[in-house]
Amino acid sequence: MGKRQKLILALVFATLVLPLASLLAQTTTPPTQTFNTTIYLDYRYNLSSAGPITLKPTDPTVAYLSNQFIFRRAYFTYENKISDNLKFRFRLDADNTANVTGVTLTGTPVTGTSLSKDDKLRPFIKHLFFEWSNFLIENQTLRVGMEETLTFNLSEARWGYRSVAKTLVDGYKDITGVDTNVSSADIGASLQGSATKYFRYGVQVVNGSGYSHLEADKFKKFSGQLQLIPVSGLSLVGYIDYSRQMPKASLPLVTAPAATSYKLDGFFEMVKNLVLGGEWYAYKNDLNQAGGVKYNVSGWSVFGRYALVQDKLNAFARYDSYIPNNQNRAKDLNLTIFGLDWAPLHSSMKLQPNIWIYSYKDGTQYKATATSNSDVAFNLTFFLSF
Amino acid sequence: MKKTLIVALAVIGLLATVLMAAPAKKMIQVKGSDTLVNLVQILAEEYMGKNPGAAIAVLGGGSGTGITGLINKTCDIADHSREWKKKEIEQAWEKGVTPRFFVIAVDGLSIVVNEKNPIEKITFAQVGALYRGEIKNWKMLGPYDKAVSLYGRQSNSGTYGFMQEFVLGNKNFSTDVKEMNGTAQIVESILQDEGAVGYVGVGYLYDKDGKIRKGLRVLNISKTPDGEAFAPTDKANIDSGKYPISRPLFQATNGKPSADIAAFIAWETGPEGQAIVEREGFFAISPAHKAQNDKNLK
Repeated sequence: MGKRQKLILALVFATLVLPLASLLAQTTTPPTQTFNTTIYLDYRYNLSSAGPITLKPTDPTVAYLSNQFIFRRAYFTYENKISDNLKFRFRLDADNTANVTGVTLTGTPVTGTSLSKDDKLRPFIKHLFFEWSNFLIENQTLRVGMEETLTFNLSEARWGYRSVAKTLVDGYKDITGVDTNVSSADIGASLQGSATKYFRYGVQVVNGSGYSHLEADKFKKFSGQLQLIPVSGLSLVGYIDYSRQMPKASLPLVTAPAATSYKLDGFFEMVKNLVLGGEWYAYKNDLNQAGGVKYNVSGWSVFGRYALVQDKLNAFARYDSYIPNNQNRAKDLNLTIFGLDWAPLHSSMKLQPNIWIYSYKDGTQYKATATSNSDVAFNLTFFLSF
Repeated sequence: MKKTLIVALAVIGLLATVLMAAPAKKMIQVKGSDTLVNLVQILAEEYMGKNPGAAIAVLGGGSGTGITGLINKTCDIADHSREWKKKEIEQAWEKGVTPRFFVIAVDGLSIVVNEKNPIEKITFAQVGALYRGEIKNWKMLGPYDKAVSLYGRQSNSGTYGFMQEFVLGNKNFSTDVKEMNGTAQIVESILQDEGAVGYVGVGYLYDKDGKIRKGLRVLNISKTPDGEAFAPTDKANIDSGKYPISRPLFQATNGKPSADIAAFIAWETGPEGQAIVEREGFFAISPAHKAQNDKNLK
């Protein structure tokens, strides 16, 4: 074992073992356990029929999904707070993205196998971690396991409508088709805390392959975040992550490729009942090349929500600008979302009617046969939490 | 175009329905401490009776729940029976919430046993030792050979936090403590359990005739082993500081309270409200508390 490895091992040992005494001293409070289910259900209806997403097929025998009911997400979360300083979370998530579900046997005796697919809502593990509060110092939290990434959790909380749409960075791939190698959860460890009320920090190291895949190489993804709160209700956040990539045989000149994300956020919560937010994002990956030319990905988003009737009725709106390839600006697109959030009976059941308007610089970049540069869709989202 | 028009009309219709369904008058949402929930409900009912235009909803859930509600702007007033933690102050700062605090009552936290337990007084240190699990049998404190049976609140309760910080010296509760959902359940458990001990606000000690509930014994507490022990049921002991386990009970608002919220708090902390506070078994606030409240209302 080399000196460097010994040093790393010693640091890990010191970091984890030294505060053990304080953790053991905190194990006497009986557990507080909670169970929670959250569901996003949509009724979607296309209001246009010529854009890349809503294009109506000319062949009458080809199905056209002009409207549908869809369970977009279902979460089941179990948390167990063992003591004031130790908590566990186990969260199942479910979606219906055409999973391979099993093997169909054919013939008797068995003559062969074939894979069977369906679109059933199936659960998978999203979070599985322990959280150690007041780790080493007061107000510092260590998490280890499959946990939320730092990338967009602050903007998600301010936007507040994941039930309607993911925030800019989280939803980038869904909207543009360009993979920016971000994930809402990953396996690793994070340390978050606050030095004073003006300043918060977070660092994280994860596999970098997200919650859907096993680690595929020796490289890790490192993230860091700083949040400044100069006055009450105003936050400025800077975020960066870095991960080395495996080289590609098709790009032999790039021998040590890396990917880096940069993100800046601003949140304004100084006016009662109003939350405003904005984020800017850039992603650079040495492996993102087209025709031998490297391209970068970027975008920005502004959003707001306003409580018209507290706990009953909110209005929200968002505008996103996507530049998925800075070498091909014809792929630029904008997305506008607006809607209402109504809790007619209780905050555990909300109706969230919303409209999405896509505006493409050139719709044919996304579907060659599109005859319009816009898509418009209406969603009636049901948010259920119990 | 036709589809767009239909959906636009549907959205407008939905919005109109929602706005019509919305309450015509602003409801003041109060949330938090279970120690305070009964008292504040009574205060709110009396206040609404005298002010027909007022609408106040009061919910419990624990001090932590109320503080979180104020930080997340889901309530207008947080009831809490402990000071805010540093983490909560920081969260409020981040979310643009600047809490203002009001003392609305004073609680003498009573240590209560089953009336079959003959012990009448213990020291402040012994209360801590009981709840840390260091005293397992009552015979260690007096002529009563019975295993100690500990009752307390859940960790999101302000009373739990106050006991842990103030009485247990920030040490942990014994794992043997039976955590109850509310103070009323602690009282009911003590009535059934001859080895029981529990901590409850003085407001929960009395029956409807204003007498200590049958089946309960309230322990007198001394500061030192040789010192005189005092009862929490005597206001003079609280005001003078002779009874060692007492605490102010708070309400917090986000910044300067609006006119309707300020009017309610001024009434609670005024003569009418404080008469109800005393009627419900808590202690009225001191002149110093009143002066600070009046300053924070402006």
